[in-house]
Parts: sequence; structure tokens; C-alpha cells
Amino acid sequence: MVGVQDIPETLDDSALIAQSMADPECFAALFDRHADEIHRYAARRLGQEPAEDVTGEVFLVAFRSRARYDRSWPDARPWLYGIATKLVAQHRRAERRRINAMAKVSVERPGTFDERSADRVTAEQLQPRLARALTRLSAAERDLLLLVAWADLTYEDAAVALGVPVGTVRSRLHRLRVKLRRALGGIDPFAEEPQHG
Amino acid sequence: MDDEIRTFADGAPDVPPYWPEARAKARERLLREAREGRGFRFPRLGWQAVAAFGVTVALVGGVAVVLSGQPGGPGPGVGTSVALTTGELDPRPGQFIVVESDTMYTSESVDGSGHSRWLYRTHRKIWRSADASANGLLLIEGREPKPYPGEALPEQARDWRGSDWMQLASCPGRLAAWRTDYAYLSVLPTDPVILRKRLYERASGGKPGADADKQAFVAAGDLLRETYMPKEQRDALFMAIGGIPGVKAAQNVEDSAGRKGVALGRDSDNGTLEQLIFDPESHLLLGERVTVIAQKDGRPPVGSVLALTAQLNVSVVDKLPDAPNVAADGSCSVEQASASPQPTTVPTPGPTDPQPAPTEAVLTEEPATDEPAAEPAPTEPNITEAPAPVDDAPEPAPMEDSPAGS
Repeated sequence: MVGVQDIPETLDDSALIAQSMADPECFAALFDRHADEIHRYAARRLGQEPAEDVTGEVFLVAFRSRARYDRSWPDARPWLYGIATKLVAQHRRAERRRINAMAKVSVERPGTFDERSADRVTAEQLQPRLARALTRLSAAERDLLLLVAWADLTYEDAAVALGVPVGTVRSRLHRLRVKLRRALGGIDPFAEEPQHG
Repeated sequence: MDDEIRTFADGAPDVPPYWPEARAKARERLLREAREGRGFRFPRLGWQAVAAFGVTVALVGGVAVVLSGQPGGPGPGVGTSVALTTGELDPRPGQFIVVESDTMYTSESVDGSGHSRWLYRTHRKIWRSADASANGLLLIEGREPKPYPGEALPEQARDWRGSDWMQLASCPGRLAAWRTDYAYLSVLPTDPVILRKRLYERASGGKPGADADKQAFVAAGDLLRETYMPKEQRDALFMAIGGIPGVKAAQNVEDSAGRKGVALGRDSDNGTLEQLIFDPESHLLLGERVTVIAQKDGRPPVGSVLALTAQLNVSVVDKLPDAPNVAADGSCSVEQASASPQPTTVPTPGPTDPQPAPTEAVLTEEPATDEPAAEPAPTEPNITEAPAPVDDAPEPAPMEDSPAGS
């Protein structure tokens, strides 16, 4: 029964998870290490409120399935992002609403924002042209793109998170780039060109 | 990162930081789960409502009572005490095993106001499907806490009253070698040496090392805590634990109900002795005990007891009780999410090989005593030379169809 505060920082995630089999409360140290990062990813995808629920749930799911963690992976982040991605998928509808809303911002209110709110919109929300591009991707493509772009996972890490071979990640990303180039190419961020999709 | 993907990375929406209150709440929720779920818990899923329960047979760790007869069961009359050696439970597929216990464990928490700890106590009653075919149920009732040795009882420990019903979802396919249902336990190897290897495999993928010994001991505790297995497996497990390096036996160790048994214990890394206390004859688990054995900074004096439990009785019932306000258990529904990472394409032979269904093979009236055929155990070769990755752990009884559970 080691207190969470006794866990040395040098202990990698894998060893920490192993230790949590004997001493479940240690698992809180994994939360301390990664909760902010997982929350940021969930919040980017779903917005703040659902992100709080998702983040809490990610660590509960992780805790309950810790016995099956592959201990050859010292860094638990890909595993946690994989769980987070699956949980985000349960909010697919909320995510679609959010993306659609962001895609429409400039269309609905062209030129009505003053400087400050326009800044806020571009900082806190996704640029409309990116949001529109996202609406053209399948759910699986979006998961992969955002794990790489927003969670900053390597291809190998993304493969772990999604439970597919790294070769699959490479070929999917190749197709994804082609699709994105077409979706983004030549579109002015604030153009009012109607988008279907 | 390529251009298009870079564009998305640069354009990622700025989001506000994790709201501290929400963060603290999520962390506390996790810690609560960690405290309640000592030992491995079933992941969770939707709950099947059922009618009032019918008790059939109760077996007691020295205190057992048979409440009513069961066809083919050892049927003394209602309210009769059963000696440990005479009564063995005979759970059938579809029935539930009920274990009642008193527990006391250390609770430690760190929050904004600092570090606090105390010994929290509960009474637990757990129902689990004998063949993992249905969800289970857990009732936790608070009991008056005790202060951590040498310290005052912190304010937050005073809020202990009340009880909680929790659903325990059953996903045997996902748990694989970490199952603890009767159907799984009743086909464990009855050879202590083979069973000991199984403990190492379960704990650490079969990799050797000092940590592996510790983990194997923990794995043994997980198999015993709030479970029931046939006498043959209990005997083998008792011997297997005794064979783990660092394990020492002690006589006349008391559980929290005051029953004395033989304890198998191991020193932990942090100056405590962790003991599993057994009935000397039936080898049923009586309880657990954690005692301070080495003085350390910030630790209580040698001899202080930091955890003490008692498994009071084990019984079999046909149905789950009607329970109010059951906390749903949704973890089986994210089955995919919680699978562990598969970094590379590990070619697994696949658990599809035909294996005997344990529920039919074992849950018979008279378990065949000398027949190794009762063990599917095609798995032993895995564990000796090449440590198998965790996910390759053997799956003696893939019980894919869980009619009531999904």
C-alpha cells in the first residue's frame, strides 16, 4: 500500500501499471502523469464538458483493464489515447455537431465579428476550412488524422492506439493526405463556397 | 509530418485547461475504484434485473450455514452448521456464487489540503456467475473506520455510512486468463508445480525475476479473493503459493473474525508482511493480513496491522437479489477500447481451437478426482522457454456465448 506520492518519476508507465496490480491506488499516478494531455485531446475533439467525462472514463477503463496492458511498452500514452479515441467515438454525434458548427461560423456570420471575437473563434475553435475538411473524412480517417495531428503521436504510437499494424497506418495516411489536399486545396479560409457533406 | 497534416496540427483548437475541480473529481473517482476493487474486478456491463434470490447451499469458512437443500447437494437441514471438511459446494452453470466478507484496508489520499490516511472498513457481499455467463452484483456497506496506527482519524474518514450496489459486468472473453469465475478456476491444474507456473504466467507473462515472484503471489491472492474453487484446486494452489520464492508459512494467524489459520506470506517492498490466511484443512481462504515488519520513515511501528479481512461465508444461489439503485457497469461495452495495445502483428494461434467447455466437464455431481482429462490445459508449453506476451496468455475456456450477459 504505497502512497501515490511515493512513486518515483523514473518509474516508467509500464512498471507503474505492473505495480498497480499489487497496489491499485498507485494507478492514480498514471492519472497525474497523463490526465491533462488526454483531456486536451478530448476537449479538442468534443469540447470542454464532454471532455471531462471522457477523461475520467478513460482512466477508469484503463484501470479496469490494466492487467492486460502490454508491459513491453514503457509509455502508456498510446494505450490511453486508444481508449480515449474509442470513447470519443461514443460521442460521434456530438462531435459531428461541433465540427459542423465550426465549419459554419464564417458562413453564417460573415464579417460580423470584430477583431477580438474573430481571434477567439480561430483560437478556441477550428478554422472553418479545416472543420469543413474534417466533415469529409470517415470516422476512422478522422481518428487517425487527429491522433497524429492533435495528440502528436508517431505512426507507431498511432498504430498501437488504433490496434492496427503500422503499415496500415502508413497507407491510410497516404490516402488521407490525398483526400485532404483536395479538400483544402485552393479554398480560402473565409470563402463562402457552399460545402456539401 | 506532411503539409496537410501539419496544417491540422497548427490549426488545433486551443482548449481551456482541465478544470481543477473536474480533474480532482475524476481522480478521486479513480482512487475510489482502486480502493473498492482490490484484487481483480470484473469489468462491467449492463445489468439484468432478476427476481428475489433463492439460497440453496451455504458453505462456511468455519461459520458456514446451509440454508436449504439442493438436489444432489450435501443437504443438512436449514440452519445447520456444516463442518468445513464435509460440505463442498457444487455450483451449476447459471447459478451464482456468493461471498461475504469484512475488510479493512489502508486508504491514502493526497489532495489540495495535504496527505491523509486511515483504515477504512467495509462489509462486502458479492454475487458472481459460476460460469461467467451473466453479470454479477456487489454490495458494499460502510463500517466504522479505524485511525491509521499512531495517527488521528481524519475528517474525511468520518463519512463512512451507507451502502452501494454495483453491477459487475461479465466479459469472460476479454478477461481471458484473468478470469476468476468458478468454471475457470475449477479447471486449473491440480499439479502444484504446473499451477505455480500458471501463476507466473498470469502475473508477468512468465518472465523470471524478483518482481515476478511478488507478482505471482499477488496473482494467487487474486484467484482466491471472493471466489470459490474445488478442493483439489485449493489444495494445489496452497502448495503452489508455498513454492513461490520468498513465501513463508506461519501458524495460528488470525483473520478479522478471530479465526486462526495457516498463513502464507511474503515481505513487500515497503516494509510489510502480506499474508493470505487459510483454513489448515479445507484450504479455503479465511482472510488477508498486512503487518508492518520494518521501521521506516513515515511508517507506523513494527507490528501495526494495516489490512485485515475475513471471508465469512460462501454460498450458491440461483438468482441475483433485487437491488436498488445499482451503479451500471458499462466497461464491457468498450471492449475494444480496453484491449491492450498490439504493437506489432503478433501472429496468435487464435483461441479458436476446440476446447472442452468447462461447465459441462466439471460441474458434475462427483468431480472425478484422478482424471487429468478434466483439465483442458493445452497451454503449458507456452510458459517455459519463451515468455509469451501478456495477450497470448492461455485461454482455457473461451465462453463466447454469454446469453444472459449481453
